[in-house]
Amino acid sequence: MKELSRAQIRDLMGEVLKNQGKALPSDDAADLREIGFRSLDFSELALRVEDATGEELNFDAPGLRRITTVGDVLDFLVELQRQ
Amino acid sequence: MSDPTTPARPVPPSSVVLVSGGSRGLGLAIVTDLLEAGLKVAAFARTVTPELAKLADAHSERAHVGSVDVTDLAAAQAFVRAAEERLGPIDGVVNNAAVGQDSLHVHTANADIARIIETNLTAPLQLTRLAVRRMLAQGRRGRIVNITSICAQRGFPGLVAYSATKGGMDAATRSLARELGGRVLVNAVAPGFFASEMSAVLGQTQLDQIVRRTPTGQLTEPEEVVPVVRLLLRDQTNINGQVIVVDGAASI
Repeated sequence: MKELSRAQIRDLMGEVLKNQGKALPSDDAADLREIGFRSLDFSELALRVEDATGEELNFDAPGLRRITTVGDVLDFLVELQRQ
Repeated sequence: MSDPTTPARPVPPSSVVLVSGGSRGLGLAIVTDLLEAGLKVAAFARTVTPELAKLADAHSERAHVGSVDVTDLAAAQAFVRAAEERLGPIDGVVNNAAVGQDSLHVHTANADIARIIETNLTAPLQLTRLAVRRMLAQGRRGRIVNITSICAQRGFPGLVAYSATKGGMDAATRSLARELGGRVLVNAVAPGFFASEMSAVLGQTQLDQIVRRTPTGQLTEPEEVVPVVRLLLRDQTNINGQVIVVDGAASI
């Protein structure tokens, strides 16, 4: 299975935000609420990762509730690819 | 991860619409109306009727039709891919395909209950999942209209499993609208009984009684439901997560 690196996922996250006229800060500690990255944006990002890897990523909602920063998003998706 | 309330851009009108069960009755009327309104339409049904084939021929640049059983997810996926290659990305879905019922619950075979649920509830949920995943993956917005029934809100003998599936789709409509956060508008249209289908199972006396109890004095016709579907797909209304009943107030 092809796996995307953290940097590649970060690039995709930047594209998702750019499409909405928003910018992805370089700081992984940036708060998702402050940059306007919503749960549906997370879904869009996960689907973009799926598209790139060819593997469906399914996960339960409770896991998402712990995600509050850009770094959390990247960590979550990197880990999800390995499961 | 929680979402703050932020001002959202309005969802644009749908321009490429997928219609399940588009070969006859209300489904065919919806396909006809959308094509005449200038939209691109991808319509499938278990059997492509001569009427649907004729319609597709008349609008060959904007119509894509095929024979697909809605419960065959792989076939539905293949149809959606082919339709998008021809017409462009789908940004509207009308979940219309359904099977009816005319049997008391105690006399309905278990296999028939399973078939009704699979066709009327599982299949549209899966088709919706397929369409929404494609919309989100491509950063697009869209609209979904579920065709349900007044049976979801009022009790009718002989329609227990059918009513359960339509009630399920009404409920899914509300939760999907919440879940998709205004990026995809999700609504349902619940027609009353159509004159054609009622006349097939009821006698004239019963039909007359239903008409007398309907304030508008008439049973619903597909042509009266179609404008509501088009409105939900095309107009800027902020209607989301709603079930709109079209039955002449028979059910109030």
